Amino acid sequence: MDRTADKEAAAWQSPMVDVSGMSLEELASHDGDTALAHCLRRLAAELDDPAEPIAGFNSAL
Amino acid sequence: MRTFRLSDAAFAALAAGRPSAETIAELHKAQISRHLLLLREVTQINPKKTPIWYAEPLPEAPRSASLSDPMKALHTSATLTALRAGSTPPGPTEPSPHHLSTTDAGLTLRVRLEDTDPLRARLGLTPSRQLTGQEVDTWRRLLAEAWHLLATRHRPAAATVAAVLRVIVPIEPDPGSAGLSATSAEAFGAVALSTPADATALAVGLLHETQHSLLNATRTLFDLVLPGAQPTYSPWRDDPRPPFGLLHGAYAYLAVTRFWRTEAAASGQALAQFEFARWRSAVAESADALAGLLTPAGARFVRALRAEVAGWLADEVDPEIERLARGANIEHRVRWRLRNLTVDAEALAEAWPDGRPPAATPRAGHTGRALERSDRLDLVHRLLRDGDQSLPPGSRQRLGDDAWLRGAAGTAVHAYVQGLNSMRRATEPETPPGPREVDLWAGIAIAGPWRSVRERPELVRAAYLALPGQELDKIADWLDFSS
Repeated sequence: MDRTADKEAAAWQSPMVDVSGMSLEELASHDGDTALAHCLRRLAAELDDPAEPIAGFNSAL
Repeated sequence: MRTFRLSDAAFAALAAGRPSAETIAELHKAQISRHLLLLREVTQINPKKTPIWYAEPLPEAPRSASLSDPMKALHTSATLTALRAGSTPPGPTEPSPHHLSTTDAGLTLRVRLEDTDPLRARLGLTPSRQLTGQEVDTWRRLLAEAWHLLATRHRPAAATVAAVLRVIVPIEPDPGSAGLSATSAEAFGAVALSTPADATALAVGLLHETQHSLLNATRTLFDLVLPGAQPTYSPWRDDPRPPFGLLHGAYAYLAVTRFWRTEAAASGQALAQFEFARWRSAVAESADALAGLLTPAGARFVRALRAEVAGWLADEVDPEIERLARGANIEHRVRWRLRNLTVDAEALAEAWPDGRPPAATPRAGHTGRALERSDRLDLVHRLLRDGDQSLPPGSRQRLGDDAWLRGAAGTAVHAYVQGLNSMRRATEPETPPGPREVDLWAGIAIAGPWRSVRERPELVRAAYLALPGQELDKIADWLDFSS
């Protein structure tokens, strides 16, 4: 689920983990983390079904 | 482990094309996280593939800077894809030395003009060869002029561009197009652009492509579109687009519309009014078309996007310009339908006695990106930019277009119908309409009174060709009534 509550949510909760401040070594120490595992599965699915480049804007001017 | 979270207010502002600096910072962190996770997968498959910039970072290029470089993210993604497929990953790359920086009204844009990275073709269009010094100078000049326009007249949008854009990949121009651009979900902050015609075109292109990057980054955080929906009409492309592609178009053109709204208000120029009037309708209609195709987050996103453009729908535009803008949007939809949809002649013959026209089906044989030009739209642009485009007296060329530009709808539709009738015998119902025929149908749609021609031209065409004894107006009248 992408959101925290029904209807009018106060905030939108992403499945994406914030590892921006970590090193690869630090990341390895979190291997059993459920949120990380879910996030990696989501990324793998994205790689298996990549979006096409958004190409073709024609300025027409 | 912390997961990303956006307040509803921040999410709605992002959807409205007005992300705060804090929201953009979160999107950057999410992209760095994504890059790091991809890198983790790469090194787990093959530890020897740890890139040198990560294993041995230089003082002038720390890991944090490299992790947020769009071309390095693209490289990591390509490496992982290749390793997973058992193919050879791309080799190491060196960034281009062309660093451009421009400051105006206290706001600075810094970008790398990337003309060497072999992976730059993955942004979706054919990259240009390595630039000459003169070409780099041209880009530098155009960027400074575009930045002056953005930083002084479109300040909030310029701040967003400065916070997102890192790399411009020059691409080959398309002979049939005034300017092309592209963005990849694998390279947040990189845009591919053909050399723009002028600073205004570049400014619009930068705003447009920055929106694509923002939406791709939003997609990293939240699933926005439900899976499995069929490709559909998009006002910005001539090929059917998946719902996420339609959302991309609406989100990009939200920024484009805002740009022209500001320009129209500042200058009152006819062309600015036309672009504003045209795209505000297209964005609103596309947002409406996405209903039922979205996740809860996507529905919230599109609601905020729709609310933003709704506030512009009542803005006053010269009625004559509004007429031409409405015509341009109708024309595009008609061209799209004739290009991509067909009506089976047998089904039409069976349905005719019941008075219930058959549904259209996708036309086989058209796939992939398509951008086609409309001569009539070129005439409209010229009229709005340069003034009167009337034909010399006595000329019979472009009679319909000439009348349409002057607002003489009756004369225009008469000329278009005559042109169509003259082609009727030589036209095969099963054959896709050629450019001239499409042009005439589009002309009839914009100038004529028939809803059926505007909304279901493929059906009217099928009936018109199946019933050679019937005049077009009778067929269109009947379909107006029955469909």
